[in-house]
Amino acid sequence: MSDRASPQAPKAPSKGGSTISSWRASYRRYRRDHKWLGWGIPLAAVVLAFSYPWWGLEGPLSFIFNDGLGIDNDTLFIMSIYVMLALGLNVVVGYAGLLDLGYVAFFALGAYTLGWFGSGLFSQRDVHFLDTNAARLPGIHLSFWVVVLLAGAICAFAGILIGWPTLRLRGDYLAIVTLGFGEIIPDVFRNGDDVGGHNLTNGVRGVTQLDRPGFGQSISDATGGILPVRYTSLELRPWYFTVLAMMLITVFVNLRLRDSKMGRAWIAVREDEIAASAMGVPLMRTKLWAYAIGAVFGGFAGAIYGSFINGIFPTSFSFQISVIVLVMVIVGGMGNIWGVIAGAMLISWLNFRGLDKIGERIGSLPGVSDDFSIAKYKFGIFGALLVLMMLFRPEGLIPSTRRRAEFAEGEGQATLYDARA
Amino acid sequence: MRLPWQKNGNGKEPARVATDDGVILKLDDIHTYYGTIHALKGVSIEVRAGEIVTLIGANGAGKSTTLRSINGLNHPREGRIVFQGTDITDTAPHDIVRMGISQSPEGRKIFPRMSVLENLEMGAYQRQKGPEIQEDLERVYSLFPRLKERLQQKAGTMSGGEQQMLAMGRALMARPKLLLLDEPSMGLAPIFVEKIFEIIREINQQGTPILLVEQNALMALDTASRGYVLETGHVALADDAKSLRDNEQVRKTYLGEE
Repeated sequence: MSDRASPQAPKAPSKGGSTISSWRASYRRYRRDHKWLGWGIPLAAVVLAFSYPWWGLEGPLSFIFNDGLGIDNDTLFIMSIYVMLALGLNVVVGYAGLLDLGYVAFFALGAYTLGWFGSGLFSQRDVHFLDTNAARLPGIHLSFWVVVLLAGAICAFAGILIGWPTLRLRGDYLAIVTLGFGEIIPDVFRNGDDVGGHNLTNGVRGVTQLDRPGFGQSISDATGGILPVRYTSLELRPWYFTVLAMMLITVFVNLRLRDSKMGRAWIAVREDEIAASAMGVPLMRTKLWAYAIGAVFGGFAGAIYGSFINGIFPTSFSFQISVIVLVMVIVGGMGNIWGVIAGAMLISWLNFRGLDKIGERIGSLPGVSDDFSIAKYKFGIFGALLVLMMLFRPEGLIPSTRRRAEFAEGEGQATLYDARA
Repeated sequence: MRLPWQKNGNGKEPARVATDDGVILKLDDIHTYYGTIHALKGVSIEVRAGEIVTLIGANGAGKSTTLRSINGLNHPREGRIVFQGTDITDTAPHDIVRMGISQSPEGRKIFPRMSVLENLEMGAYQRQKGPEIQEDLERVYSLFPRLKERLQQKAGTMSGGEQQMLAMGRALMARPKLLLLDEPSMGLAPIFVEKIFEIIREINQQGTPILLVEQNALMALDTASRGYVLETGHVALADDAKSLRDNEQVRKTYLGEE
């Protein structure tokens, strides 16, 4: 076995893990001999995900995602949103090694972009562009798809604006500055209802009655009604497919970035900033790109999330979201796209559905008192999970080869996470 | 970037400056600081085409600081640096690499978790993809056959001597017009030191001028054509390498001879 292992693989199997490492070795061998799995597995996952409404809503698996009423629900939608967020943060944290604790700011900014350009917030204005609302409502109403792009652009701009002065800082200092930024942005939205007499954010009351995505009458007719005129809150499939498509775009961009020249520069910056600079990598530009690209996906996710929830409130964008998205990236395996997706799906599922589901099951067991609710222990369970995870598998569920090497080599002496920024 | 009213600035970037024949790099009375510490107090050196020039001196004399001033990591506050007729005193590090100054930094600074090949490719970061990069890879392989045997190995798992070879190979991948080497013999076994200096001579014979910073003064003066002795931020002596070797002061202080 050992003579066939690839040279990068850690040589000696770690103590007590010989079964697992021999499984891993045989899995690697299998993957090497069956190259088609490289695209076969992702393709199967995509097909499964898109066909979910046909196989997942009823039948034995339905209990995983559906709520107690057994009807169609939004768990998978929220999970997909978090996968997008986690992949966006993966560019910043996993690729470029910049510890960002304020990622929620871009999620919020994306949502508020929809508030500005796709709701009745500015009711004294009357701007319409490819508007798919049934009636001509007051306010600024751009097509949802335009708003999504705008959200990405505004977030990229904000990312550059914030990154320009702060990305000069290293590691812990950058983390604290981004933390501050993540706290400031929701506060700005909370207090933005009276900026020199202008109501920009509607303050704590939030923005409601947001525009929904839609394709308009003519496109809908042309496709025989497959593409809906306007998404509704009753029919959730179009929402699900839309967010899935956006997620796939995010995955694709992540993949392309990983293999790009920029991706290599990010690794170099992460490994040794001085050396990267000496090789001709422009540090600021390289880091700003990571920050801005991460921000774009936060913006995309924010816009569609706001539209789906149909309400944007400053309180929805708490520090907790920054943390949970970071946890997804770390638990999944920093820098590895499949790991980050798995981490994001697992944690968002546990957070929004899984723990409740497990609680229901336990609660229905004979001898368990009726007022037992596992949801009360949610954060305790989360905490315990994280501690166990970091103790036994600090490199994440599916670590990238590079990260695994970093952990193997720094065992016992390095800090668990060292963001050199 | 220098503003028009500042010393030596003429308001145009980059400034073309007339230079003596054959001088490709000229440091003109530079003063470099680390915060408030005055590390270089007026250093002037020159590198001419085809030369190996060495900077020797004790720890803290300012050898590495001189290199950091040249490669843009620590800009001088006064004086100026002219490379091939262009003022690069305040040019950013990545632009300096693109203009043709590459380096093997102090402590080698290879990327430990990248493979040897990936490290070499990083050396060509500022260049466009093309057949020339493959040519340069071949050139590096012929200079350092050992690297070719280990292309897929993680650089951090190699020995110190091999890492030094990688650092030099990586610097060559930028196809430099001037190569800066910072302490290439540091921490190496004597047999590797011999080898490294042999390769330095070979690189130079292939046409690349080299500015060599060394603690191993004997080897450095044997290899170089000219040398500068730095002492606490000043150039104490400047001469051709042979005369420096025969200089009594140098023999006592740096070559350990009585």
